[in-house]
Amino acid sequence: MSVLIKSDKVEKKFGSFQAVKSLDLVIKQGECFGLLGPNGAGKSTFIGLLYGTSLRTSGDLKVFGLDPSSSSHQIKKRLGVVTQDNALDESLTVFENLNLYCGFIGIEYGQRKKKIQDLLEYMNLSHKIDAKILSLSGGMKRRLVFVRALLNDPELLILDEPTTGLDPAVRHLLWGKVKELHKKGTTIMLTTHYMHEAEVLCDRLVIMDQGEIKAEGSPQKLIQNYGSGFVAIFASLIKEDLQSALTHFSDLSFKEESSGLYVRGPKLENLFLLQEKLKVSAMQIRPTNLEDVFLNHTGQGLSDDA
Amino acid sequence: MTLNKLFSIFHLSWLVSHRNWTVYKKDFISNTSPTLADPALILVSLGLGLGGFIAEIQGMTYMQFLAPGLAVATALFTSFFESSYGFYVRMTYENVFKAMLTTPIGVLEIVVGELLWVGLKGALMAFGVAVVLACFGLMANLYLIPMAAVVGFLVAVPCGAIGLLATGLVHNINQFQSVYSFIIAPMFYLSGIFFPFEQISPVIRWLAEIFPLIHGVRLSQSIFWDQNILQTFAVSGSILVFQSLLVGYFSYRVIKKKLVS
Ligand SMILES: Nc1ncnc2c1ncn2[C@@H]1O[C@H](COP(=O)(O)OP(=O)(O)OP(=O)(O)O)[C@@H](O)[C@H]1O
Ligand SMILES: [Mg+2]
Repeated sequence: MSVLIKSDKVEKKFGSFQAVKSLDLVIKQGECFGLLGPNGAGKSTFIGLLYGTSLRTSGDLKVFGLDPSSSSHQIKKRLGVVTQDNALDESLTVFENLNLYCGFIGIEYGQRKKKIQDLLEYMNLSHKIDAKILSLSGGMKRRLVFVRALLNDPELLILDEPTTGLDPAVRHLLWGKVKELHKKGTTIMLTTHYMHEAEVLCDRLVIMDQGEIKAEGSPQKLIQNYGSGFVAIFASLIKEDLQSALTHFSDLSFKEESSGLYVRGPKLENLFLLQEKLKVSAMQIRPTNLEDVFLNHTGQGLSDDA
Repeated sequence: MTLNKLFSIFHLSWLVSHRNWTVYKKDFISNTSPTLADPALILVSLGLGLGGFIAEIQGMTYMQFLAPGLAVATALFTSFFESSYGFYVRMTYENVFKAMLTTPIGVLEIVVGELLWVGLKGALMAFGVAVVLACFGLMANLYLIPMAAVVGFLVAVPCGAIGLLATGLVHNINQFQSVYSFIIAPMFYLSGIFFPFEQISPVIRWLAEIFPLIHGVRLSQSIFWDQNILQTFAVSGSILVFQSLLVGYFSYRVIKKKLVS
């Protein structure tokens, strides 16, 4: 499989602030790759480096084998980008927005209308073809940005927080579309703050924090490495009781969070036993998930040695 | 290969201009009418009012003297406001370029496209004003009316480049006011539109020659008065082209810093 993105010790500084630190990354053709990280981790900055709206400070970066600081024109022909903010042209209608982009990416006059109609149809937006941008809901705008990104049948589709702020129905619709595109062979790179989204869509992901990669692997593997098992969350009030009860369980670890008291262990039975001992039921008991892994790696969550 | 590349730059730039035209034509009447009304107002107030006190200026009525300058002044204002306030709003508030830059459009195409757009808009406006002025009988040779568009284009591009340069340098939208007060307005008042250029002090004249407007005024006078057209285009026309390239290049450099981090 050929390599679409190769990042070798890529760094990006804004003045003295280092937004991306020595980033090593390879994304292969056909992957659906997730870039996770808290606000300000450097995800959008890295995406900007890929198509030349941001220039790296050092390191080696290749997209389709080309250097984005000198060949962004060629790279962008083969790329579709769903930008973090919609950046739709509000002075133009839906059709005018898309028609303009057809021009930019070189779709011939005769084919534009059909291409636009087909993609609007695909995103359930046909009825809005002549609407003003301001009249669209958030979900419609996002779907329109997808249409815009798909006009050139991109080989690589970059999605920067594609579903932030959308209702579950639109989110599921977009997941379905992303999966379809992935199945058809489109390589996908996405950032998201929804761990569930990453689990549903991505074959492989990295978690980055403060410009650095903290963990890498498939969602399942990351959870496994972290320790697959279960988490019980208790109300903060019972902290002392909980701590004394925990002395009876050697395989349970504990961490206090603002959202509650987190107890983690490999076996579900022990969490139930803990409940019995406490005579208090947990607010929630669930399998460990990517969110736990994320919080752990970004220094905010249940840590391994707690 | 290089020719292909040039063609591609021009083609994509044209599409950027076309975007602005698509927006502009939606409100064509309300967009164009003030630009045409302003010169008419100046003509009436200064030409008829003040002109009554001036017997003759370089062998013509004051209205005849004033007319060519009004056509290029329109090109100046149209292009400056479009490439300063207009471009700034497109870039900062409307986020028009953010998504464009994910396509094969680059900063060069955006800058060339904007300059092409202000050039064409300047051409249209100068032409419109020339038609109005011709109706007042202020054009010696009516066949030369279309040439006003050429003059408008040649003036609007360097003036638009000044606006773009300012856009690349200002820290907020209010600073355009200073650019207007210290560059655009002096250029308007001291470039031989209202009185013969030769009557201004030599230092100011020398300074004014650096800026585009006086060269545009000379071009416009040559076509309005039907005098020395070829010679004026050869000299002043070349100067305007040179200024366009020079200021255009610097505006590209500063806009690139704003759009690419
Ligand atoms: N043009 C810029 N100049 C200076 N600092 C910048 C610039 N762009 C981004 N940064 C800084 O770089 C850091 C990374 O920003 P970036 O937008 O890449 O984060 P992100 O991971 O996409 O975050 P989010 O999830 O909130 O979108 C932030 O601290 C941000 O303030
Ligand atoms: Mg971001």
